Amino acid sequence: MSQADAPVALDIDQLSVVFDTPDGSLAAVNDFSLAIRRGECVGVVGESGAGKSQSFLAVMGLLAANARVSGQARLGTESLIGRDVAELNRFRGVKLSMIFQDPMTSLTPHMTVGEQIAESIIHHLGSSAEAARARALALLEQVQVTDAPRRLDQYPHELSGGMRQRVMIAIALACDPEVLIADEPTTALDVTIQAQILALLATLKRERGMAMALITHDLGVVAGIADRVAVMYAGRVVELGTVHEVLKAPKHPYTAALLASMPRIDDAGTGPLPAIGGQPPNPRRLPSGCAFGPRCAYADDACRAERPSLIGPSSIEGTRSVACHHPLDGTRHAREST
Amino acid sequence: MLSYALRRIGGVIPTLFIIITLSFFVIRIAPGGPFDDEQTLPPEIKANLEAAYGLDKPLLEQYGRYLAGLVQGDFGPSFKFKDFSVTELIAQGLPVSLMLGLSAVLLALMIGIPLGTLAALRQNSPTDYGIMSVAVLGIALPGFVTGPLFALVFGLHLRWFPVAGWEAGEFRYLVLPVITLALPVIAYIARLTRGSLLEVLRTNHVRTARAKGLPERRVILKHALRPALLPVVSYLGPATAFVITGSLVVETVFGLPGSGRYLVQGAINRDYTLVMGMIVVYGSLTLTLNLIADLLYGWLDPRVRYD
Repeated sequence: MSQADAPVALDIDQLSVVFDTPDGSLAAVNDFSLAIRRGECVGVVGESGAGKSQSFLAVMGLLAANARVSGQARLGTESLIGRDVAELNRFRGVKLSMIFQDPMTSLTPHMTVGEQIAESIIHHLGSSAEAARARALALLEQVQVTDAPRRLDQYPHELSGGMRQRVMIAIALACDPEVLIADEPTTALDVTIQAQILALLATLKRERGMAMALITHDLGVVAGIADRVAVMYAGRVVELGTVHEVLKAPKHPYTAALLASMPRIDDAGTGPLPAIGGQPPNPRRLPSGCAFGPRCAYADDACRAERPSLIGPSSIEGTRSVACHHPLDGTRHAREST
Repeated sequence: MLSYALRRIGGVIPTLFIIITLSFFVIRIAPGGPFDDEQTLPPEIKANLEAAYGLDKPLLEQYGRYLAGLVQGDFGPSFKFKDFSVTELIAQGLPVSLMLGLSAVLLALMIGIPLGTLAALRQNSPTDYGIMSVAVLGIALPGFVTGPLFALVFGLHLRWFPVAGWEAGEFRYLVLPVITLALPVIAYIARLTRGSLLEVLRTNHVRTARAKGLPERRVILKHALRPALLPVVSYLGPATAFVITGSLVVETVFGLPGSGRYLVQGAINRDYTLVMGMIVVYGSLTLTLNLIADLLYGWLDPRVRYD
């Protein structure tokens, strides 16, 4: 990957998120570490509840009030965790932007598209209203919103889902961020629009040299635009590597099982798709040892006794690491493994 | 939106017509009449009086004549306030009542919304509990308790405001009655605002606003508060009705020459035309305010469609 020696834009280090609930505490993210370089897109994949979104909401300071965050996340040299809102607001929406899953509800219904884009520009960059509006128009054109001048004065409900997600992206890009976090940006959209939005994100990343975290449960999305991929399970990264490596030759049985459960276009399509047996663990009562152990075909006493740590070069090095006592070594024998 | 407003205004007329018709006959069903007083009138005089006011005609004819007068803006003569037409009585009392009622609703909005917002932002803090406890008290205590209490404390003891009475254009006479009338409305609006704002603060678009790095103040005022005010606007109609009925008590307690008393006195005296006049006025007021509330929805949330 060409970004291998680019400076690290976002460095997340041993991040943990615990929610205090009336029924006790709930560990959503455990020791999450990931470094994203400028111009690089890292896909973060995993099932629902794996802690993908919570990790990055923690970075953004957007978690619910009952969340406790430990560990660190740095944007360049600035640390983000433990700052108060006013300090965070020097970065949020400026150097660090986020787009969300549901474009239907993520825009303010009573403000026009133009107002919502221009707002950040006026607030953070101190532009005049006219300058901000002109920039909002340019952004809308850049994210390929059709009929952009008219859209400026429309309300979100007058736009389609795909258009709204483009507006969300325009808002996120308004102040030229260094890091863009995209939390399932295409999940709520239909397939053709998904492809367009992903292509747009890939283009923007390339043109602007942004670092991008792409949170998704869809390995197809990752294959399309990510450079590296981090696979999460039960709040931890279980496998990290380049997209090519991880998708071609998964080392963690969970990654392998995840890949095996994806429909493939070159498959004859006979028989049901393999599903991963069992259920994701309850974050209140994680199994001892490897969290994936109870669902893993290779699990033995060692797996039940001791949780494997993420072995491999440090996350900043960007090559292969895996948290497994019995990493797979061959290529795609995952189908049999589940 | 304009055509919606026009259609709604058009709809007011049949609604009013139904209100008038129902009230007209219901009042007549009630036993007694305007001239059955303490001292019984000789039958001939009573018959003369009834003839003079057209009460000897068949009920349907009276109804027709009343409607015909109403269309020309004539509410008829009052049966009890001799030498006064209902129009004159209402013209005297209504401005005072309107001033009282509108001031109370405005005050309630101006205090209730910020209080509710503050409580929501400091959810589960002493501030929140304090505001909400006072709000429960405000709702629970009726005007005939708080009114005299205020008159006693702020009028008699502290002498900040007059105990009662009215002089046209004198603001200080309004203070205590307006506060008394507004108190339960403030409390209710504060509770509505708090609950609804707490809900809006959890929505995705507020998260987006925060992700944009806007100051919390702007997130609340610009992104969260407007949709949170929808329930408050819905409550404006009932609030107005409350203020209208509540104004009777408050006007009595503070000796204000408003029109609230005409409704009750008119009903007790079987002053048919006066009651009808008040019903028409209050009915139109309520309908108008509901219309304004419905039009405000569209401003608060552009997704509201008027068709």
